[in-house]
Order: sequence, then C-alpha cells, then structure tokens
Amino acid sequence: MTLEISPAPATAGAGLPAAGTGRAGLKRAARRLLDNIVWLILVLCVVVFSLTITGFFSWENYVNILYQSVFIAILGIAEAFVLISGNMDLSVESVAAFSAIISVWLCAASPYASGLHMNTWAALAIILALGACVGAFNAFFVLRLKVDSFLVTLSTYIVVRGLAVLITGGMGMNGLPAAFRLVDTVKVLRIPLMVFLMVAFYVFFSFFLRGTRFGRHVYVIGGNKAAAYNFGISVDRVLLGVFVLSSVIAAVTGWFMAARTNGATAGMATGFLFEVLAAVVIGGVSLQGGMGSLIGVFAGALILSSIHSALNITAASPFLTEVMRGLLILVAVVLDALRRMFR
Amino acid sequence: MRIARSGSPRPGRRTPGNAESGASRAAGPAHSGKVILKLEDVSKSFGSVVALDGVSFEVFENEKVALVGDNGAGKSTLIKIISGNFPPDRGTICLDGKKVSFRSPVDARRAGIETVYQDLSVCNNLDSISNLFIGRELTRSLLGLQVLRGRQMEETTNAVLRKVGISMPSSRDRMEYLSGGQRQAVALGRFVAWGKRLVLLDEPTAALGVRETRQVLTLIEATARERTSILLISHNLLQVFEVVDRIVVLRHGKVVGVREKKKTTPDEIVGMITGAIFIKARGRKEDPGT
Repeated sequence: MTLEISPAPATAGAGLPAAGTGRAGLKRAARRLLDNIVWLILVLCVVVFSLTITGFFSWENYVNILYQSVFIAILGIAEAFVLISGNMDLSVESVAAFSAIISVWLCAASPYASGLHMNTWAALAIILALGACVGAFNAFFVLRLKVDSFLVTLSTYIVVRGLAVLITGGMGMNGLPAAFRLVDTVKVLRIPLMVFLMVAFYVFFSFFLRGTRFGRHVYVIGGNKAAAYNFGISVDRVLLGVFVLSSVIAAVTGWFMAARTNGATAGMATGFLFEVLAAVVIGGVSLQGGMGSLIGVFAGALILSSIHSALNITAASPFLTEVMRGLLILVAVVLDALRRMFR
Repeated sequence: MRIARSGSPRPGRRTPGNAESGASRAAGPAHSGKVILKLEDVSKSFGSVVALDGVSFEVFENEKVALVGDNGAGKSTLIKIISGNFPPDRGTICLDGKKVSFRSPVDARRAGIETVYQDLSVCNNLDSISNLFIGRELTRSLLGLQVLRGRQMEETTNAVLRKVGISMPSSRDRMEYLSGGQRQAVALGRFVAWGKRLVLLDEPTAALGVRETRQVLTLIEATARERTSILLISHNLLQVFEVVDRIVVLRHGKVVGVREKKKTTPDEIVGMITGAIFIKARGRKEDPGT
C-alpha cells in the first residue's frame, strides 16, 4: 500500500519541534538524567566515603556493603514487580519476618522452638508455600474485591507478623541445623553464598521482567490497565502472579535472614519496608506504576547499604541513623515527584 | 432503504447480494457484495437501561461504514459487543456467514476483528514495538518461559510504521517522547498489521490535530482499498462523509436509518441523529415483511 501523505515523509507527523532543540530537548535530557540518577548518587556516595572515611576503602568493607544489602536488595525485587504492575505490597517485610520466625520455630533446637526439629528443606518448602498463600490472599482482595492494594497489604503487614508471634509465643530462638545456614556459612573469596544468590536473583529476574512475555505484561498493566484488558492480556492472572511472586521472594529473604542470625526474634526485620521502598524508588521505579528496572533497584539498595556502612564506621549515633533513614525516604519521594513533573 | 432484517425464511439468503441487499447494490456500491459482518436483532440492557434494542445491519467486504448517533445512542455498547468485551443479551453476530459468540476481546481479534480505541490504546511507558505487539508478543519457549523475540518484533514494527507513513526517531523510544499524531500512528499501525477482516475505529481522530487527522483518514481509505472492511464511529460528520460508503444511524439503541453516502446529505443524517426526521425502521413488529 502506498500512501500519499506529504512530499517529505521525514516531516510527516512531526507535530512537535524536532527532539533535542529548545525546551523539549531540555525536558528530555532532564528525564533521562532523573531516570538514571541512581548511578550518579551511588558513585558519589562510594567515592566521597572512600576518600573521607578511614576504613571505608577496603575489600572487606565493600564485601560487607554487598553482604548488608542482601535483604533489602532481594525484597526490592519483590517490591519492584508489584510497583511496576501499578500496585503496592507493604507486606514484604512481615512475610520475610514470618518466614524466618516460622522456619526457625520448625527447625531449631531451642527450647522455645516447636521441638519438631524438622528437616531444613521441608521447613523451607513450608515457608515458601505459606508465602505463596499470603500473595494469593493479597491478590484475592485486590482483584476480586477491588480493594486498593495499599490497604490490603497494610492489613497483611500487621496480621502476618502477628500470626508468627502468636504461633511461636514470641520468644527468641536459635540453634539452626547446619544445612539451614549453608547460604551464610559457605564462602567464596570470603563472600557468603547469599551474596552470589542475590546477584543470581537479579540476573534472572531482570531477564524475567525485561525479556519474557510475563514481564512485558507487567509493564503494560502498570502503564495502562484498560489497554491491557482490551488487548487480551489476562490482567488478573498476571497480577495474581505478581503478588504471589512478591511474597515468595519475601519468604526466601526470611530464610536468608534466619540463616545469617542463626535464629529469629519477634521483632526482626522491623523497618525494612521503608528501606525497601526507598531503595526501589531511588532506583527509578515509579510509585505510579509502569516504570523502572531491577538494575536500578540494586543500585538503590547499594546506596542505602553504603550510607549505613559509613555511619557504622564513623560510629555515628544510632539516632543519626534513624534521621538518615527518614531523609532517604524523603529523597526517594522527591525524586519520584520530579520524574512525574518532567513526564 | 433496506436494513437486513429477517422477515423471510433464512435459506434464500445464502448467496451474497441476494434480494435484501438489492437496493443498495443497485446503486453501484464500492464493495464486492460479500457480507463480512452481519448483526441481527442485537440487544443489550444494563439493569433497566436499554442500551441496544434489536439492532440489525451488515457490513460488506471492502466497505467503509460509519456508525453515528448522539451520546448515549448505543454506539460504544455496540462496538464493545462486536469487539468481544461483553456478549449481547439477545441477537446474533455473523462473521463471514458464520455465527460467532466472543467471550473476550481475544476471541474477536483471533476471528479477524481489530479495534482501535479512541484513548485507551497506547501505553506511554513503553516503546512503539511493545505497543504494536501488546497481547500478541512474539515469543519462543525456553525452559517453560515465554521469551520475547525482540529483533523480530522490532523489524515488523519498523516495516509497519513505514507503511503507516509516519516517521519517528526510533521505534525504541517510549511513547511519552512522541507527539500525539505519532502515538495514534502506532495505534493505527496495529490495524495495518493485524486487521484481517474488519477494523472497528472508535473515534480515531478525537484527540488529533488537523494534519494528523488527515493522515489517519488517508490511512483508513488506503486500508479499505485492500481487503479490510471498516466500521467507523465518529462525531464528526464532515469526516464521515469524506471517508465512508454507507452510514448507519443509531438513536436510543435502535437503527433509525441506513444511508448510502451518495444518496444523503449531512442535514438528513443530523435530522436522523437528533430525531427530527423519524424513520419507520424500528423493529420486526412494524415490518410488513417481504
């Protein structure tokens, strides 16, 4: 088919001035900068801390930064999937704590544990299944009853941790079998196995989000749910998958947390949710859905971890740490607002 | 004027261009005489609100038909039924002579009905490639994962965009970086690429400037010159008269008139839309039969 539209097809449809000139070009540059600003912040943090803080610039400390970022980074994968799909999952922190507490309760030799001395892998299978159930529970209320995901997961955030404490009696437990702790005790180049697993998760889930049909549909739903439906995407099935995936990843994080501390307490992982949200949003994931990439989230988690490390090394007051946490969330939200402004 | 309506027994209507379409055929229509889409007695109510009440008309191969009517006349409901968003309460839809019942938009698309919506059609957070292939991504299976075939989709997209005749810097740019006309071009690219039998256009130019509208209309004309039939919904009678062959007027959920473009005037159509001209074509009961 030939169309006679205009003598110079290169100008056809150019309703706006060509890109790169004037205000439009400036806006475009601002958007690109804001989309990738996470890397600038990360490099700035690492360079400045390395130059100014004695003891920051060392292999041990860099490994430690990676090691300390594992939980936030992995939970960040879960949260990123949910946010990109246009929803929110506040329950990730509690699901992680729940999995840690329940798996320790099932396996540990502590007098406060269940006394079942369950096989590690059986216990892990159970917490993964329970994680999937929490995800399906969230999805049911969001998809069938059309409740806002913020409110649904706010309630599971409270309920799930409560359940874990209710079942176990809330006492601290320790004494895990060796198999349970392998992810922490096995080391390559003095780096614990869980760091490599974190990297493997990022490689796999980046591919899953960018390179598969499921991932593409997550972006479509986050960007324009009505279009997704009109073009035949089974929106409910994809979103169910996203919520279940998020909770299962959170359950895996719980396993890693229990393995590292060789036990569990009722209050573990408290406050992780806000760090996860800060890492994810600084990393370029939009709270409005449809935007962001996992590699940015990883950088976001590393920023948080390097700031914690800097505060630790300088023996800063723990209250200053709290202030920094709060400010980081503010930075994240402001970045998100700026991105929206330039869209 | 004749609306295909069943007063006579079915068997005699097998052959295309039979008696019931005789009147329109005699006028020397642009189409080949083969019925692509046939609606019979399609009705739909939402609670006590009757959105469609016994709608019957047909679209021929290569024909461009406009569906016009005031707000609330039932145009959108009808489009949603044809495109498989929900089923009618009563009545039948035939595509290429076969009765169809779509349970979802996917069913309709598989049958060859492509729909271009006025505003719900693009994802601004994604690039042109992703947008063209929403819901029909090309994939290959790898360890149970449906892996996207990126390069193949990009090549197809570039070919389609060339065909649409709207240039853009790169098909990998997110839609939010593009102008309104370029965005609509991508949406229309879908029907160039996938529209097999029938394209439903729901106010395709509502959000466009003069120049982009011109391009869209050219594209519609060019597409229908090929194999595809078009059902266009538009408020803009000027556009309707420019593009289509035949006009179906809906009022209060009923077809109040079907006119060949050449045999009517915008005034008459406006009259039918507003009810100033009342046509006796309301339903079976008043049909004297053939």
